[in-house]
Amino acid sequence: MATFFWGRVCKRIKNKRLLLFKPLFCATVQSCKIQIYSMTHQRKIQHLYLRAGFGLSPEEWLEKKDIPLQEAVNQLFEKAKFVPRIESEEAAADLSMQAIRNLSREEKAKLRKQERKKVALQNANWLERMANPNESPLLEKMSLFWHGHFACTSKGSRLALAQLNSLRRHALGNFRELALAIAKDASMIRFLNNQQNRKRQPNENFARELMELFTIGRGNYSEKDVKEAARAFTGWSSNFRGEFVFRSFQHDYGNKTFLGKSGDFNGEDIIDLLLEKKETARFVTRKIYRYFVNEKIDEDRVVELADLFYNSNYDIGKLMRAIFESDWFYEDENVGSKIKSPVEFLAGIERNLKVQFEREESIVLIQKALGQLLFNPPNVAGWPGGKSWIDNSTLMLRLNLVNHLFQIAEFDFRVKPEFEAKEPNQGRKKLNASLDFQELIATFSNENEEDVFEELTSFFIQAPVQLDKQLFDEFTRQDTKENYIKTLTMRLMSLPEYQLC
Amino acid sequence: MKRRDFLKNTALASTSLMVPQFLAGFQRKKIFGSRSGKILVVIQLSGGNDGLNTVVPFHNDIYYRSRPSLAVKREEVLKVGENMGFNPAMQSLQELYDEGLLSIINSVGYPNPDRSHFRSMDIWQTASESNEYLSTGWLGRYLDSNCAGCSSPYHALEVDDSLSLAMKGATHGGFAMSDPARLKRQTENRFLKASARKQHSSEENVAYLYKTMIDTQSSAACLYEQSQLYSSTMEYPKTPFGKDLQQIAELITADTDTKIYYASLTGFDTHANQKNQQERLLRQYAQGVNVFAKDLKKNGLLKDVLVMTFSEFGRRVQQNASNGTDHGTANNVFLMGGNLKKPGFYNAAPNLSTLDAGDLVYEVDFRRIYASILEDWLEAESPAILGKPFEKLPIV
Repeated sequence: MATFFWGRVCKRIKNKRLLLFKPLFCATVQSCKIQIYSMTHQRKIQHLYLRAGFGLSPEEWLEKKDIPLQEAVNQLFEKAKFVPRIESEEAAADLSMQAIRNLSREEKAKLRKQERKKVALQNANWLERMANPNESPLLEKMSLFWHGHFACTSKGSRLALAQLNSLRRHALGNFRELALAIAKDASMIRFLNNQQNRKRQPNENFARELMELFTIGRGNYSEKDVKEAARAFTGWSSNFRGEFVFRSFQHDYGNKTFLGKSGDFNGEDIIDLLLEKKETARFVTRKIYRYFVNEKIDEDRVVELADLFYNSNYDIGKLMRAIFESDWFYEDENVGSKIKSPVEFLAGIERNLKVQFEREESIVLIQKALGQLLFNPPNVAGWPGGKSWIDNSTLMLRLNLVNHLFQIAEFDFRVKPEFEAKEPNQGRKKLNASLDFQELIATFSNENEEDVFEELTSFFIQAPVQLDKQLFDEFTRQDTKENYIKTLTMRLMSLPEYQLC
Repeated sequence: MKRRDFLKNTALASTSLMVPQFLAGFQRKKIFGSRSGKILVVIQLSGGNDGLNTVVPFHNDIYYRSRPSLAVKREEVLKVGENMGFNPAMQSLQELYDEGLLSIINSVGYPNPDRSHFRSMDIWQTASESNEYLSTGWLGRYLDSNCAGCSSPYHALEVDDSLSLAMKGATHGGFAMSDPARLKRQTENRFLKASARKQHSSEENVAYLYKTMIDTQSSAACLYEQSQLYSSTMEYPKTPFGKDLQQIAELITADTDTKIYYASLTGFDTHANQKNQQERLLRQYAQGVNVFAKDLKKNGLLKDVLVMTFSEFGRRVQQNASNGTDHGTANNVFLMGGNLKKPGFYNAAPNLSTLDAGDLVYEVDFRRIYASILEDWLEAESPAILGKPFEKLPIV
């Protein structure tokens, strides 16, 4: 049966952008069946779950593809209400700073290695939560976003976990509480040298980044403001157990003038004053828009959302709901337009194919090779994202990864060695992962071949795409339905379009 | 009119218009061998190489007092003047010095130095201020401003599996390839080759992904062909670094359409028992660069090549309790090539009496070296690339 689809031309006059013009034809019946892209309800559901989470497993897709959008949004927020604390797998057998100082160089190196392994384990666990349908995708996605926003490298696994728990607790809560929790977080304090911020020897690092990167953004404060804010944060320190400690004798209790106001401000006051400014709401909202909606910012929408955010007293949950419940969120230009970050990509394939890695080192290796290592942002500005994820090397890796996993082939890639490494690393490593196609096969089993092709394509691909079934016929096995689904899945997941969500 | 220019113009008039951009590189090689003019090779010594034991200030007592067991003994230093000499492992580099093929710039660094590997390396790679975070590198930005008409996606080539920040620009980027055979394997996916030939959406990100994929596929083919054109007869050290240099030399000699090469050598973070490890690495470096120079010279290419070697920081003047050294600040930078304006030592030995909390105080901002290379060697405008003008040095 010949199928015709209409082309659509849309002009966004307001923003002078021309949307995709999609002429869609299918000439004949059997020889050429071209997949077309129109905004179906299913595509919207997928869009929601890809942006608010990490996509849908095959079973979830069956369950949710036809439910109303509002219901899907409600479910997401309902599930995110319960925020269990992530506990460390090992008892906190902590050495005091003194004890650590007394270790020999070799023992210190051994301790560092142990810590790296623990962080790798936490990394793997987090990825698993992102992929697990029983966990809250929205909570994990928001935590991931805030992790990139309040970018920080922790010096140990326990501190890294403590910070993650703080992010989780407030991820969909109140931004003021979140900022305060981070300002009192031991990892952040140490990372930005606030440990050394003292009354007579202020260290401006934390105050500066708080303003430049975490709240109000450049151009909205002066250097003097930075200095005054630093004074307010003096004495905000931590102990060897990783707990926040206010060292009163290091604190500058004097009068400060910050953003035009005067008083004997402390750190909390500074945060309040920053949030009092609408610019803070706008800065944070803009970042959220860029991450969750589109890299191309619609300034009017951002202002509208920022006002909502500000007026709700910085209620993050309300802001996210407003985004996911709006019509424009589901418009063509915003769907399938985001390049998946390495973690989103990994979590997605884990969710789609129930991928399990035997060792957490494999996950660390892949993340390093793709340019995003959890708990290790490149610097306090986080991961720039967008096209910067993609160069010839990372792209080929992404396109070939599913092949690698499927064939459990060798991962022939040398990641750059640590600066402390004595030797360049050698390269070939076994990824040791398992895939499970059962759920996928069960979900798409009652269709004929053409329908399977169409359904699987809709399931895996969000980007506007015109696929030629003939091309796929050449590269898939059609002897059994199982083999067809397996091989077609592999092909679809190796398309460039699969990198978009 | 030079042959090269004539051929370039001919190409513009005929072939390039009909051949898609991503294929143009390959075609050009076949039809006419135009060289990429002056070539820059950047060698990164990762980990923070101890400059004071590399270029030894053997005249300075402070050096010996600060390093009672770690200092290079006076009688072992390969002296190249009254004040300075090389670590004994660098005999091969001394050869190059004697032939006038080496410039050494001492005390190179930047204000408010950062002693963290990641930060300092980012600062060197992005040419940022010490408190600035840039997400593009100086060579990437060179590509951004100079590569509108670049015919090959591997105009800047990093001999590694992944691309350094130095090579990432806003709109353009370098190309990562550890070896042509490996790259070819990565792109051998027949399905992807077939997909590349089909139509795809013109949506911006989709188009970008396809362009990158297609560029990679064609580059893999081109670079593999290029790597087969010339096989060096010189004996490079049998280490990964030696192999990388050989790769670069062969590609240069094969007239590959690449203007910038990037390679690195790791292991310089010598906090403990420095002597043997550093000497091992310095020997690798010196021997590799020596053979590289000979190889290019043999084919009359050395005058068109400039090798810049740097490390993200030097190390402290005082040795530590583990017979090693800790993270420091300023360091030396080497320039090697057949066309140096000022071979030998560009400036005096580092000042060991006026230190900043035990660390060297920089005298030459590294961005001035970048500016000199960008303007005088690569013929580019440096202020746009480096963010602001830096005073050049008369080195290339």
